[in-house]
Amino acid sequence: MIANNFDAIVIGSGAGGAPIAQRLTLAGKSVLVIEKGPLLQPQYLSANGLSDFKRDELFATGPEKRIGISGVANQGQAYFSSHVEPDLNDEPHVYQERDGRDFATLEGYTAQVIGGGTQLYGAVHLRFTPTDLRLGSFNEGRTDLRADPNGDVRREARDWAITYEELEPYYCQVEALVGINGTSENQLKSFSEDHLQQPLTPNPISEYARKGMVVQGQRYQSQGKIVSPYRTPLAVITEDHAPSNRKVPTERNSIRTSYVNRYGDALGLKSSTWVSLLAPVADRPNLTLWTNCIVTLLRHNGDRISEIVFRDPGGQEQILPVKPGAVVAVACSAIESVRLLELSAREDSAFSTRINPNDLLGRYFLTHCFGGAETPVLGNPTRFPPLQFDKSASLDSDWAIDYSSSEDFLREFGLWAGAAIYNNTSDQALPLSLARTHGSQDIDTIWQTFDAGFWSTANPNVPASARSRTLHGQGMLDFFRENFGTRLSVSFMANQVPLPSNRILLHPTVVDKWKRPVAWIQKDWHSHDRYLMDVLANQCREILKVGDANPNQDEIESGGIYMAGNARARIANHILGGARFGRQRNDSVLDPNCRAWDFDNLYVTDGSFMPTSGGANPTHTIEANAFRVADHLLSRL
Amino acid sequence: MDQQLLEINHQAVLNTATKHLAREVLPARNTFGGSFPATDIRSQISEAWRFPIIERHGSTPPDPSDAGLNRVTFVTRDRDFGMPEQVSVIGSFAPLYQRFPLQPVLFQGQPTGFRACSLLVPTEQVHVYRYVVDGSLRTDPINPQERSLENGRRWSLFFTEGCSQLITFQPWEARLMARLTEYILPFRTGDGEQFLNNHVNFLDKQTAENRFPFAYKLDNSVGAVNYIDKILSREERHHRVNYQLCLRIIDRLLRQRNSFVEPHLMSRDTYRELYAQMLSGADGDVPGWPYNEFGRPRFFMELLRRHTYTGAFSHPKYGGNAGAAGWEFLASRYPFDWRAALEPPLGRNADYRG
Repeated sequence: MIANNFDAIVIGSGAGGAPIAQRLTLAGKSVLVIEKGPLLQPQYLSANGLSDFKRDELFATGPEKRIGISGVANQGQAYFSSHVEPDLNDEPHVYQERDGRDFATLEGYTAQVIGGGTQLYGAVHLRFTPTDLRLGSFNEGRTDLRADPNGDVRREARDWAITYEELEPYYCQVEALVGINGTSENQLKSFSEDHLQQPLTPNPISEYARKGMVVQGQRYQSQGKIVSPYRTPLAVITEDHAPSNRKVPTERNSIRTSYVNRYGDALGLKSSTWVSLLAPVADRPNLTLWTNCIVTLLRHNGDRISEIVFRDPGGQEQILPVKPGAVVAVACSAIESVRLLELSAREDSAFSTRINPNDLLGRYFLTHCFGGAETPVLGNPTRFPPLQFDKSASLDSDWAIDYSSSEDFLREFGLWAGAAIYNNTSDQALPLSLARTHGSQDIDTIWQTFDAGFWSTANPNVPASARSRTLHGQGMLDFFRENFGTRLSVSFMANQVPLPSNRILLHPTVVDKWKRPVAWIQKDWHSHDRYLMDVLANQCREILKVGDANPNQDEIESGGIYMAGNARARIANHILGGARFGRQRNDSVLDPNCRAWDFDNLYVTDGSFMPTSGGANPTHTIEANAFRVADHLLSRL
Repeated sequence: MDQQLLEINHQAVLNTATKHLAREVLPARNTFGGSFPATDIRSQISEAWRFPIIERHGSTPPDPSDAGLNRVTFVTRDRDFGMPEQVSVIGSFAPLYQRFPLQPVLFQGQPTGFRACSLLVPTEQVHVYRYVVDGSLRTDPINPQERSLENGRRWSLFFTEGCSQLITFQPWEARLMARLTEYILPFRTGDGEQFLNNHVNFLDKQTAENRFPFAYKLDNSVGAVNYIDKILSREERHHRVNYQLCLRIIDRLLRQRNSFVEPHLMSRDTYRELYAQMLSGADGDVPGWPYNEFGRPRFFMELLRRHTYTGAFSHPKYGGNAGAAGWEFLASRYPFDWRAALEPPLGRNADYRG
């Protein structure tokens, strides 16, 4: 047993863990962070001056591997993953299809590394709207909701245990401490402070998205003003950032590179929780960091977590006692946090009674309703070959708009919740990512297109029957001409209806490399989710059409993720819920401070606390909430 | 030259070793369809090819001589050698009498069961090595790359970045591969040849070498064969058997179609016809193809296409895209300022060191 004197033990160093560790460290508390993945450094923190991350497509997407897990339906399938994503054979998540077959998978942007998923994310850092946090009240008594024949939406919609006004100061703190560029003006969320850094010049291709957003936004008003686009907040610093001691290059255009989304940033300009929050305090004697260590079990004594069982970097099991009065924050990302709690409950019925008295642990698992539209930019009048842009000189997104979160919009379409809409600029900017993802609805693990051998064309004069072509020689040249630097996409990110049947369980037979049952996910889309995705995909298509990216809307590919062939088993980019917080003990796993109701010192602070998934990418909200919980912890430590 | 033994970076070793080597013994999940026996250690660990760890060498402040060096870190697990007292490594990177001891890798001052040592080895080289485990010579139980020397003994093998020596392919296979890959890539189209004419051929020799030092590689499919040779030795070793079988079949098939010309000298149209046949239908429809030997020629063609494309457009350190000729070809036709992001001397980014 290891002796220790830690006031707080934080499991996970990503968006849910790092803010707590940083704040408590700065307050002088003794803090231990246990991270499953490695400590990989950007260049400026590296002893030999070289980054552990590379601007290298092959490094980031990896060679082919094969699923070797017996008992899953996709055994033998090829997959491609980055050097910091979990090894699918070692720690798969297993999703159950509607026909009962199981598929091993991993979630996009899940990373086992210091900083967690914030090392790989595209860094879109949007706030949720005030309505996102009160969807129970907003939908109460509504009779205009479409595609909800059984009233599930009204029954299952929940208000959060906190309001936007309570969370807002913490959004401001994230924007100041993490380092984000973008604009607050035109967002349908109030900002009491503005810490956003100046965005870089947008990539010219994004103008076609901005124009479309302007046209679409004109139909909606908020507080008497037409809804207009704004520069997408991105957690990439564009100016020197004093809180994290980071400096930007003299040549600011050097910041604008497509080696950001799905890459660890070699220069550390992307604000991962490592470079922005933990590294600046890593030298303090009261912060201890154990990387390459996996926590396998929590043990308790009454209402206290009293021991943490973990495997050290060599794989030896170790036990870490939790001193009286200390707190434990679990933030391993939603599925893994719920799994750790379920594994602990499986070992000990008393633990189970405390963590899961009302059978809610693992239920209401959420991802996002997302999707969008994509086209080569043909202009108006159209030209062929399409217009070409250097998309490699851009970050993940340039423009966003909130009209699809406005109350007018939601009532017009009978929707329960809204969405953020933004363009993706750097997608497919580089040759390997272009080929790997072209025509694919799954950007994450499968080299879809090359296997499918299907190549579309944007040329309106080519009949559909002639659009499957060979990809070699002149065919490859044609492919580049039509697709390299030509494609523009507009995406939406929307709430998924919370359902108790969408849940995280322990798999009955498949185990991880430590012989522990892996997470078993049962999840489907509600009819309202499908309807909502159709509505929003059409909005994205309309933006591209009226923005003159492509005036022929039939040529614009669009859809929601539910339409993908592997929609249930497919990679979910944002994993949320499963241990939701709430004001009522019988309706939640965690109390308003994200403390497990029947434990005194157990907190869960990654995205699993969310009762609804929000109409935007979740990292900003997870970080803001973690700072909020940190303040609560300081009040008791 | 005596090798320089570097100080072990315990954190860096664990950053790779824990994920891929630390585990309970489970039914094998990484046999890659039988490439390794289920009882082989390499079937039970993850990404065996990552060992020894080969990384770019760097210094602070930067030293220009670092560019030609890799840091090679040998890693062993004590449990694979019956908990030995001493482990060292010998290899062709130094006189064979010179042993380099592997040191215990520590976490919180305690041994983890891993041992490691790091050496500087020049780039573009191939080496063999063995471990000396309490006096006995052993091959690396983790690294799948091995080679038999003339005396029949097996040695483990590694190669450093940018290596252009053939490791996997026989010379006849490499010649055939050069033909198979060159018409997949667009450099033999009219536009591709125009690139050469416009950008290289009209320049005087010195200017051409300064501006496009590797443009001649366009005639060799920008090193895609070399890239595939390397990836079949290491990362995608499980596809070696597909290449071995299919290259033999294609060689035989082409000889049947034209018995007067060596396959690697046959016409462009011969290869075009072969591609079209291999990609037709669900599995490929190739007259004369021995489907009982290899049932899916289309699968092989798609595999070859993925590898060729990847080799042509990935970082040159992987052995393809020589001198970034593939990227330069794209930049000559489309707005693609690839140099802006990448490290000198390949690119011109003053901040990123690679």
